[in-house]
Amino acid sequence: MSARPTPFLQLRKPVSRRQKLLSALAIWVLFFGIWIVASASGLVNPLLVPAPQQVFATTFDLFFSRGFGSDVLISISRVLIAFALASAVAVPLGVMMGSFPAIEAFFAPFVSAWRYLPAPSFIPILLMWFGTGEAPKLALLFLGVIFFLITLIMDHTKNVREELVETALTLGAPRHKVVARVIFPAVLPDIVTAMRQMLAMTWTYLVIAEIVASTTGIGAMMMRARRFLNTDEILSGIVVIGVLGLLFDLTFSALHRWAFPYLRKA
Amino acid sequence: MSAETALEIREISKEFELSGGRKLVAVEGAGFTVERNSICVLLGPSGCGKSTILRMIAGLETPSGGEIVIGGRRVEGPGRDRGMVFQAYTSFDWLTVRKNVEFGMQINGVPAAERRERAERFINLVGLGKFAEAYPSQLSGGMRQRVAIARTLANDPEVLLMDEPFGALDAETRWLMQELMIDVAEKTNTTMVIVTHDLEEAIFLADKIVFLSSHPGRVKEVIVPEFKQGARIADKERAVKLDGYSDLEAHLMRLMREEGRGKE
Repeated sequence: MSARPTPFLQLRKPVSRRQKLLSALAIWVLFFGIWIVASASGLVNPLLVPAPQQVFATTFDLFFSRGFGSDVLISISRVLIAFALASAVAVPLGVMMGSFPAIEAFFAPFVSAWRYLPAPSFIPILLMWFGTGEAPKLALLFLGVIFFLITLIMDHTKNVREELVETALTLGAPRHKVVARVIFPAVLPDIVTAMRQMLAMTWTYLVIAEIVASTTGIGAMMMRARRFLNTDEILSGIVVIGVLGLLFDLTFSALHRWAFPYLRKA
Repeated sequence: MSAETALEIREISKEFELSGGRKLVAVEGAGFTVERNSICVLLGPSGCGKSTILRMIAGLETPSGGEIVIGGRRVEGPGRDRGMVFQAYTSFDWLTVRKNVEFGMQINGVPAAERRERAERFINLVGLGKFAEAYPSQLSGGMRQRVAIARTLANDPEVLLMDEPFGALDAETRWLMQELMIDVAEKTNTTMVIVTHDLEEAIFLADKIVFLSSHPGRVKEVIVPEFKQGARIADKERAVKLDGYSDLEAHLMRLMREEGRGKE
């Protein structure tokens, strides 16, 4: 009797590391392959869809001879500053709201109402209040993420198991120590995960802010390029934003692994 | 065993407010005493309010009537004098076994040197010496309960409260843990109140069994296992063979059945 061949699609069986890598590579090779073929064969208008090799050449050019690096740094610093400010408010507030129902009862009606207001709808008024400097951009990013971040952290905090809290109480811990020594460390891994998700959202608002109302930054560069029909530069901007987002995400997941070794199974 | 009283439960009741304004009487006028250095087991069918009584002793619930007195003081909320071990695992995952066991002492400002020494002693007492630097996620369920027991004892409570502590464990781990508790009680002279619905566990561990009736919870009978002749038996196999063991088991079964029938 011959062994039955294993099918390629096995229901919920994990794939090997090698197959994972090859698959990841394959989808990108396919993507760029189609793009290159489409450009070379003249199927698409090169003015609207430049070839990938041209986009990469332009990206190099932008960085090394046209000072695009400073735009990228400005964008990164906007994201980091606004996100740090939002986290500095959201982490303590979210943990307190999740720990003390009285604090939740006070802030939650306010926070959840703001969550339903799309942050970009504030752009006109932010421009009137803050002019055209850094402030309106930071304010938009801040408003865009803070209410979601608070809500996520509050929900995670509420999910800290009651038995952990009660154990701490029966060991004689006063309320502030229960929060600082049990609830906070218990919820911290989830807070870092929530921050990772919200950082991605901050990037979204950054691009909106820079496209609508900025002369500096990656988004502003892309809008300038549009005026001169430089599609390759627009695509460069998209690639750079994508790569930066990916790098931030990888950094956060590395931070998660490094900071919480106890979550790894033996 | 001296007959000095460690804990007095005086006619406590507990009513819970249900939705729609109805009231559920979980415990009604339950009273008993727990002698110092003794193991008192609260036994009864599900719904007899035994866990509620334990939570009231811990101060995690407030009685609707009556009072609980420990060492001459009335219980008003949780405190380190009444350490509690839960059925669910309560290890602090972000701390090693050693840091878990030191937790209560650290909260209460015990100096570092004494903390280390006591932690060492109780980690060894529960047989986790080799795992002091491990994280709870690397341990089995039984070992995590050992961590919880060591952590509570190291904090030096007057009474150790346990709410179905071995309910989530498999059978052979459960009786190893029961033997461990006898060993711990003998070595540390700790007063214990243990809630269980497991007859065998109750008979093996108890110096005194408080049997509770259900809906609402009342004390139905207080039983001292006479067959032990005032001494604890460290070996479960031997306990089962003693004269009087099976009589007591049959008696408790009959009580359980009576209460169960009342519910249907």
